Amino acid sequence: MNLKDEIRNFVVETFLFGDAGGLTDDSSFIREGIIDSTGILQLVAYLQERYQVAVADDELIPENLDSVQRVAAFVEGKRNGASCAGSEG
Amino acid sequence: MELQGVHSFLESSAAARPDKVALVHDGERVSYRLLNRAASRLAAFLVQRGVFPGDRVVIMLSNGVKYVASYYGVLKAGAVAVPLNVETGQETLSRLLEELQPVGIILEQGGGFLLQQLPLAPPSVRFVLAADASFPVCEPRLVWGWDEALGGEELPAGTRAVPAESLASIIYTSGSTGQPKGVMLSHRNIVSNTRSIVEYLHLTESDIQMVVLPFFYVMGKSLLNTHIAVGGTVVINNNFAYTASVIRQMAEEGVTGFSGVPSTYAYLLHRSPLASFRDQLPSLRYCTQAGGHMPREIKERLLQVLPPHTRLFIMYGATEAAARLTYVEPERLPEKLASIGKAIPGVTVRVLNPQGEELAQGECGELVASGDNIMLGYWNDPEATARVLDRNGYHTGDLGYRDADGYLYVTGRKDHLLKVGGHRIDPQEVEEVLMSSGFLLEVVVLGLDDPLLGKKLVALAVPLGSDPSDRTLLSFCHARLPRHKVPGEIRLVAALPKYPSGKIDRASCLSLCS
Repeated sequence: MNLKDEIRNFVVETFLFGDAGGLTDDSSFIREGIIDSTGILQLVAYLQERYQVAVADDELIPENLDSVQRVAAFVEGKRNGASCAGSEG
Repeated sequence: MELQGVHSFLESSAAARPDKVALVHDGERVSYRLLNRAASRLAAFLVQRGVFPGDRVVIMLSNGVKYVASYYGVLKAGAVAVPLNVETGQETLSRLLEELQPVGIILEQGGGFLLQQLPLAPPSVRFVLAADASFPVCEPRLVWGWDEALGGEELPAGTRAVPAESLASIIYTSGSTGQPKGVMLSHRNIVSNTRSIVEYLHLTESDIQMVVLPFFYVMGKSLLNTHIAVGGTVVINNNFAYTASVIRQMAEEGVTGFSGVPSTYAYLLHRSPLASFRDQLPSLRYCTQAGGHMPREIKERLLQVLPPHTRLFIMYGATEAAARLTYVEPERLPEKLASIGKAIPGVTVRVLNPQGEELAQGECGELVASGDNIMLGYWNDPEATARVLDRNGYHTGDLGYRDADGYLYVTGRKDHLLKVGGHRIDPQEVEEVLMSSGFLLEVVVLGLDDPLLGKKLVALAVPLGSDPSDRTLLSFCHARLPRHKVPGEIRLVAALPKYPSGKIDRASCLSLCS
């Protein structure tokens, strides 16, 4: 399973109770009511544990985390050592 | 001062400073003139739809310009604004619509399912206004789009006389103790509380408030009314989940005030770049906290982390009080850290025993409040109203005492008390001790049914960094609490379920345990 599928699975299982419904790679987690602020913390905890990436406080912005696509790109960037939105502080 | 309708806050500010920015949201900056015009056009639309004074209009919109225009528009038409959580489940919504018998519903895509299921709505509903859609013209019609509805003339100010005692809004409590109850607030309730808050926070037209709390929650509503009343600016950010984006916008907009509930501040302290932005918030004049008890540890940390010029107001209130009852002056906070302060102007809070007699300082009883801000009662529920309102005022359900300096303290809620073995335990005390360990982001202490003890104490805790062992936490408790108050079990979880206001949803926490 690729990174994006894994993240999508986590979101579907954790926040949508297994029902992927209309979730697309670009669905906004917040605007579409998929995840609330508590859920974002769960998502971040998952990313840190599953992919062993550190998520800094100033990286908690929608550009990094607000869709399956964005999360996948964020994690990918972290793994490749690229700088992510917000990391310049 | 003559008491006017809640919407006259907007009308006065629009007359005094029409070009001032009233709202900032998602790159949109709306002046007082435009906001007032939108509200007046909506009011005219409502009157054309046959809305009469006292009719209920449900607003199911997330925070935004259309919410604000709808809220004041409904009030201008003399109707009753009933904001509901946009995520209200179908079953609850059906029940609420049945008991409200609203004349109309204003909703957006999030409530779109309602559009498909109009049979859900009671026959009282004569129109549905879809704020983010438009519809082809066809008559007779039930559903309207926003632009069509606001395309007509404005309702001239003062067209509908609004007596101070008339019902302005019904705000539903979060339902943490049973079914949500509709709190009926009159224009007098809201206007008097708004003026009182403006007075003690010294709000002026220079103030710029960052709002991350929903307007359908009473504290969000009071942030809106107080800043519109003084001609200030409200910056709406619905992305608090991404704390860094909120802090950045606070710096960019030169925000002067920020407000939150305890979890808002727990997140800001531990999951945001607040500390590193300390030097970039030169305008942040104050932060306010209400919406429940905030652990001492968080208050202490906030005092260290907030910029030195930022004053921290710890406050206390209730939906039934139109928002606010008491506050601690920031100058006294360090010495009164556990206090909820003293009553705000125009409000009296007394500590009474079950017989209604006032207790001496240091004696614990129920906090009972009176003043122009106390609600008219619960919608359609005279029994529940009679349980909390009597000649002494509003019975808050909070237990507490007054110290020698007249400062009030809440020790817990009557309905949160847990009977464990032969002891009555207030979970707040145990939560406070667990938070003081410094290992946790947040915690809730619950009573699980137990065949031997009646209830067994279980803590659900969200660790801050690396997981502390439950042994570490338990031995921390053992050193500070009598044995019967030490939780039988501590479960570490990634997050605690919350209401949209950010308050911890104890009922959902409990179902997590079972």
